[in-house]
Amino acid sequence: MKKRVRKWASLTISGAVIALLAAGCSGGGSESKSSGAGAAQGGASPSAATSAGFAYDGKGPVTDKPGTLKILATNSWYNNVDLAKAPIVQEIAKRAGVTVDWELLAPGTYQDAINPRLAAGRDLPDIVYNTDQDQTMKNIQAGLFVPLNEYIDKYGVNVKKMFEKYPDLKASLTTPDGKIYYLPQLAVTKNYMPLWMVNVKWLEKLSLGEPATLDEFTEMLRKFKTGDPNGNGKADEIPMTMDPKFLGMAFGTSFGLDLSNLFYADDGGKVHYSYYEPAYKEYLAYLNGLYKEGLLESDYASTTSDQVTSKFSQDISGVTFNFSWHQSMTYSPLYKDYDPSKPLIKGIAPLKGPHGDAFYLGRNPITGIFGVSKDAKDPELAFKFLDYASSEEAKEIYAWGLEGQTYTVADGKKQFTEQGKDNDFIQQFGINPVNMPIEQSVDATDVLVAPWHAQLDKEMEKYIKPPYPFIYALAEEASVENTIMPDITTYTTEMEAKFITGKESLDNFDKYLGTLKSMGIEDVLKGRQAQYDRYLAAGK
Amino acid sequence: MDNKGIPLRKLIRRDKWLLLMFLPIFLYYFVFCYLPMPGVLIAFKNFVPGHGMFGGDWVGLRWFEQFAHSRYFFRLLRNTFLLAFYPLLFGFWIPILFAICVVEIKNGLFKRFAQTVTYLPHFISTVVVAGMIVNFLSPSDGVVNAWLVKLGMEKINFMMEPDWFRTIFTASGIWQSFGFSSIIYIAAIMGIDPEIYDSGKIDGVGKFRELWHLTLPSLKPTIVILLLLSIGGIMSVNFEKVYLLYNPSTYETADVISTYVYRQGIESKNFSFATAVGLFNSLVSFVLVYFANRMSRRWNEMSLW
Repeated sequence: MKKRVRKWASLTISGAVIALLAAGCSGGGSESKSSGAGAAQGGASPSAATSAGFAYDGKGPVTDKPGTLKILATNSWYNNVDLAKAPIVQEIAKRAGVTVDWELLAPGTYQDAINPRLAAGRDLPDIVYNTDQDQTMKNIQAGLFVPLNEYIDKYGVNVKKMFEKYPDLKASLTTPDGKIYYLPQLAVTKNYMPLWMVNVKWLEKLSLGEPATLDEFTEMLRKFKTGDPNGNGKADEIPMTMDPKFLGMAFGTSFGLDLSNLFYADDGGKVHYSYYEPAYKEYLAYLNGLYKEGLLESDYASTTSDQVTSKFSQDISGVTFNFSWHQSMTYSPLYKDYDPSKPLIKGIAPLKGPHGDAFYLGRNPITGIFGVSKDAKDPELAFKFLDYASSEEAKEIYAWGLEGQTYTVADGKKQFTEQGKDNDFIQQFGINPVNMPIEQSVDATDVLVAPWHAQLDKEMEKYIKPPYPFIYALAEEASVENTIMPDITTYTTEMEAKFITGKESLDNFDKYLGTLKSMGIEDVLKGRQAQYDRYLAAGK
Repeated sequence: MDNKGIPLRKLIRRDKWLLLMFLPIFLYYFVFCYLPMPGVLIAFKNFVPGHGMFGGDWVGLRWFEQFAHSRYFFRLLRNTFLLAFYPLLFGFWIPILFAICVVEIKNGLFKRFAQTVTYLPHFISTVVVAGMIVNFLSPSDGVVNAWLVKLGMEKINFMMEPDWFRTIFTASGIWQSFGFSSIIYIAAIMGIDPEIYDSGKIDGVGKFRELWHLTLPSLKPTIVILLLLSIGGIMSVNFEKVYLLYNPSTYETADVISTYVYRQGIESKNFSFATAVGLFNSLVSFVLVYFANRMSRRWNEMSLW
């Protein structure tokens, strides 16, 4: 690795004299015109830190001198994959002409692990990845990360393009005083979102149609429980199973609530807190009903996604809620009689609730942020690396891998190779590396999943409602939230479980609302409203 | 041993191996317990990340007041106390009883077998123990519920019932530790001068009276010291185990000061507040040890200091 970087570096140094020419070349290559314009802009700005004549043009390499960057980020969700050694990650560093010294931690507890380090605030690596988006600006105000505006103006060829493409992102990432501190890692927002999935065979067996309303859904669960849909003569069916983190997302939308982000804005621009809404009582009453009838598992709160998979593989469960991806990539292939041309565990349209609400929640497009730390030895280099790593070129590599290895191009269309379709192989290869500013690609997913799945996904697009945007809080708002919200979080999560399991009667719901009020939820809402108003104003 | 009058250097040379054995323990406490102590300063400040413990403004007792006014103050105090007190109440005498039984076992093979089996759980890590508990008690496929159903009883959703948390926590704690804790008592019983028993036999003392009048009084110093130490630890419940076993539906009985500190400090990044709560916890511990020690000195003429 190191050797190769040296070679690249020496190549570029020897070519430093003709660097301007190189910049010109890249502009005239296969890239679009806007890239050429960006390159010209980058070349025109004076770059004091790098040697004269070298100008970063948005393409690799980002420097003509050997440079090393320390980056703290998450490792793969797969235990047996080390992203620091993954070919895709190494290729990006190689093309950037930078040696990266990765420090990658397990993703599950990543933020908890780095929070004390950020609090200590000393000897931070050059670039730090955060899954917590610093909404209350604690790390920003502590001066842990440097503002990037100047670098974006000078060198942010690709970042600027990204912000042009997604103006909302720029609005989200801009602090109230107009600065930008973090660069985003992006998720697709309208495709392959979490949704309800049902076992089509079970529906056929019981001559049921796909449920369209919440009532039909409940009826379906009852029939799954008693009608022996798996046909083994035993009443071993657990009609519905899911990872409890999806529960609120799954049922909340039928009552018009966003129990995933908790805060949401209505059409009139008013901000609500889902746990503090009258509709939340209906949600609780409904789930309490399911719990009492045994349609919601008694140990629903401790179900793991592995257990969900296991229940499908034993054919004892018929419904779940999870990311769309799992339909044809995880669950359907578990069945021996699965025919890849037809869905088996299939996504359905959102369930219409008692007041006609029917939608699925989109994801916040920002899944993580990269900041250049105050301790960075060469913040300019760190920024340039991030800019390059956010380029379309890099994003192609994240999504598709390397040509000839994971994909081939035929008639101008990319196709994954056999290896490229092998999940284990591509994970080892570093596909969609979570330690990079990736942007998930719908095109790449479309060719990876079963054709019925890709088609179904496009039908679901119209049901996706954008989530509450990410907006920074001012210091006073943040201080109020930091004081009040931790206890409210404890209270609401505890009460939700109690109401659902019937430990607490729903007659006490008004008392619950009163407690929330006395705990100060309205002060938090006031702050959130002010933030949302600022966000709307910034978008105008 | 009376060391009065012996110069320090001589003492050190004499006990050098003992001191060397003590060194790692000393280092552990120095590095992990004494070095971080100045950090409590941030309990009285408004800590700003990256500015160190001397940065940020002084806020006096603001965080302590905030905690005292929290709706969870008494619940946390109660849970923390009870989750440490129950294991003490129900678990403290078990190792003593077990040690006495083990010493009485004459069959060497069975004795070693019994000891090994009871020591083993001590070496299982908390994560694994928590996993075992959750699996065994699961209402869908746990062993315990399978038995309950066979006995014609209702399934119990153990991990979701606040009423069960303390029982599960205490019982599993005793199961895990009684064998290992008995070692120190076994050693103490072995160390009792056999002449005491011989003279007892001459006086015609029966087995039970021998136990009551000879063994237990000889164990008294050990028992008192260990009890004192446990009282000192009463406010420091096993954080990992609570964290691994609790969930929002059992917060009622399971949420303790240390888990609250974790959620506040590490998850919500309210470092100053979390430090204040942690410091409060230590103060309560200190007061408890102090009074336990005084009581012991008065009634037993035995104390830590």
